[in-house]
Amino acid sequence: MSLNKSQMVTLFTNLVRTNEYDLTMYGRMMAGKLLGFYHPGEGGIAPGVGACSFLNKDDFFSPHHRAHGMGHMLSKGIDLKTYLAEHTGKQGGCCAGRSSFHASYPAFNQFMYSGFIGYNFTPATGWGWAAKRAGKQQVVMMCSGDGSYGQDRAHEGMLMASNWRPPIIFWCENNGLAIHARTDDMHPAEHISSLAQGFDIPVEIVDGQDVFACAEAALRAIEHCRNGKGPFFVECKTTRFREHDIGTPDLIEDKPRTEEMINELKQRDPMVIATERVLAEGILTQNEIDRIKDAAANEVADAWAWADAQPKAEPCEEALLAAVYAP
Amino acid sequence: MSRDLPLIEAIREALIEEMEQDEKVFLVGQDLRGTIFPHTSGLVDRFGTERVIDTPISESGMYGTAMGAAHAGYRPVVDFMFGGFTYVTYSEVAVSTGQQYFLHGSQTPMPLVITAAVGAGGRLANDHAMAIHGSFLHQPGIKVAMPSTPYDAKGLFKAAIRDNNPVVIPWHMGLMMDKGPVPEADYIVPLGVADVKREGNDVTVLANSLQLKNALAVAEKLKDEISVEVIDPRTFEPFDMPTLLKSLEKTNRLVIVDEDWENGGFASTISARVMEQGFDLLDAPVTRVTFPNIPVPGGYMEPYIMPNPQKIEAAIRSVCA
Ligand SMILES: Cc1ncc(C[n+]2csc(CCOP(=O)(O)OP(=O)(O)O)c2C)c(N)n1
Repeated sequence: MSLNKSQMVTLFTNLVRTNEYDLTMYGRMMAGKLLGFYHPGEGGIAPGVGACSFLNKDDFFSPHHRAHGMGHMLSKGIDLKTYLAEHTGKQGGCCAGRSSFHASYPAFNQFMYSGFIGYNFTPATGWGWAAKRAGKQQVVMMCSGDGSYGQDRAHEGMLMASNWRPPIIFWCENNGLAIHARTDDMHPAEHISSLAQGFDIPVEIVDGQDVFACAEAALRAIEHCRNGKGPFFVECKTTRFREHDIGTPDLIEDKPRTEEMINELKQRDPMVIATERVLAEGILTQNEIDRIKDAAANEVADAWAWADAQPKAEPCEEALLAAVYAP
Repeated sequence: MSRDLPLIEAIREALIEEMEQDEKVFLVGQDLRGTIFPHTSGLVDRFGTERVIDTPISESGMYGTAMGAAHAGYRPVVDFMFGGFTYVTYSEVAVSTGQQYFLHGSQTPMPLVITAAVGAGGRLANDHAMAIHGSFLHQPGIKVAMPSTPYDAKGLFKAAIRDNNPVVIPWHMGLMMDKGPVPEADYIVPLGVADVKREGNDVTVLANSLQLKNALAVAEKLKDEISVEVIDPRTFEPFDMPTLLKSLEKTNRLVIVDEDWENGGFASTISARVMEQGFDLLDAPVTRVTFPNIPVPGGYMEPYIMPNPQKIEAAIRSVCA
């Protein structure tokens, strides 16, 4: 499935925007202007953009926590200013400033974020079940890292998807690490996707540093699911350039990752790979790229200005008590 | 019109009526089609495999399916077979469903019902006999109820299915075949309304489910000596505090009977609340009849831990002394 020019421009633009949001988070956290955790995306932002840039608004999706799913969400069409407000405890936050870093956008069929790794696999089964029953050709984009495949939930979700054939795409962003643990130390096979083969779910493995390759795989998986052919598994081989989350030492097992290791990983920077390709294929000129970058910088600055202008969410206890149960 | 039905049949009627009224209601569990307990008997013939769903032995997957479907506008009833099995996916029920509505900005209601058979007395030991209401009562965002009569069973189940929140509603195996009047007409027992099952003046006994039966038997036995008022909470969360306080204005004495461990359960919660809100009404310390902190044993040892009429009578006598 080859991409047309407009699709490539969309992907490139979403990648640049994701990168721009991601980079500001680091500075904000270091300046004490961000609540909760932040899991920097640098080096691993292509899969989320590839997965979500061509979803329909009513497709269900669950972002991976890397870069806090911002690439997934903006690619799906969500305006991230309310996410930034949430991350700073503001009233305009997408979760009313109650969650620190969770995201919930029901209008985009994004219903839950769980700080428990792997907890989205089983509700995804329910979204898939609902999608199948509604018969409106919706799909479920279930994104996660490799580490979440240690959870029984992932296995139960795949088992039930394999039985019921709902339109679920298991989208694994395998960066080779889970905090300090090496993926190849925690999982038996070279590929996480080998697990899916045990459930008879078709698999594709893709270069997770290449946003265009990710998107092509996503489009194939989406088409498979929309055509009622059951679940699909895509494993994106990706990486991360920074520590697991800001403030946690950047170790591999018990040893720091060295500068040489990181430099080696940076040879395959998703931003560089995408830029070279759009230039080489004449999809964008350097001028157009600069304009996309400026627009992204302005978008992110505006989003932060909006979030910063929101009042802190500090409701009274009675208001919170009234918010626990649905009417 | 009303007929006498066993409690389990009253639950079955509630399921059938709600499934007929609202096509978004469906059942998910294990072996519901073949049935382990009779409340799901024949339902697959009536509603088909799309709405009576059997899953693999994957409690998280089974429960997660319900959670996701609830996000998407369905109203699942998740049947765990035995209450103890809810602990297999306790984190989903308690943390994900209970807390996410609030945490995610009160945007997406989670209308689902969690039911299961509970109760000691069958010599099944802990995993198949444990109570669950106290554990879920502890968690914000979840409603918890338990019926003691067929009338309440049907009405509470119907209210639970229509509620827009997760409702944990176990039923006691010791009451499964107990018969009582059940109206044919549509009705609900609203969540959060206790029921004075017997009026009295000297002492209030707050007892639920199987223990309500024991409390009523003791009240009858003592009637010429001590006038016992028996209240059935029916719902643990939200709990009907005004009904209890009103009763204490009259009796000034409280015994709480609860088939659950003493630590951190319903009985302790209500004792503390009575202390805070009704201390001046009390003429004697609140007394609890609960499980000592011993795992629910199998074999012949269940009576060691179970509340029973003798223990309830002793507690009543101690607060009335
Ligand atoms: C249930 C649970 N266990 C452990 C953690 C701690 N934790 C947070 S992120 C993470 C690693 C996740 O790895 P992976 O899914 O591969 O994603 P990555 O962070 O590498 O992008 C762990 C163990 C958690 N949040 N939830």
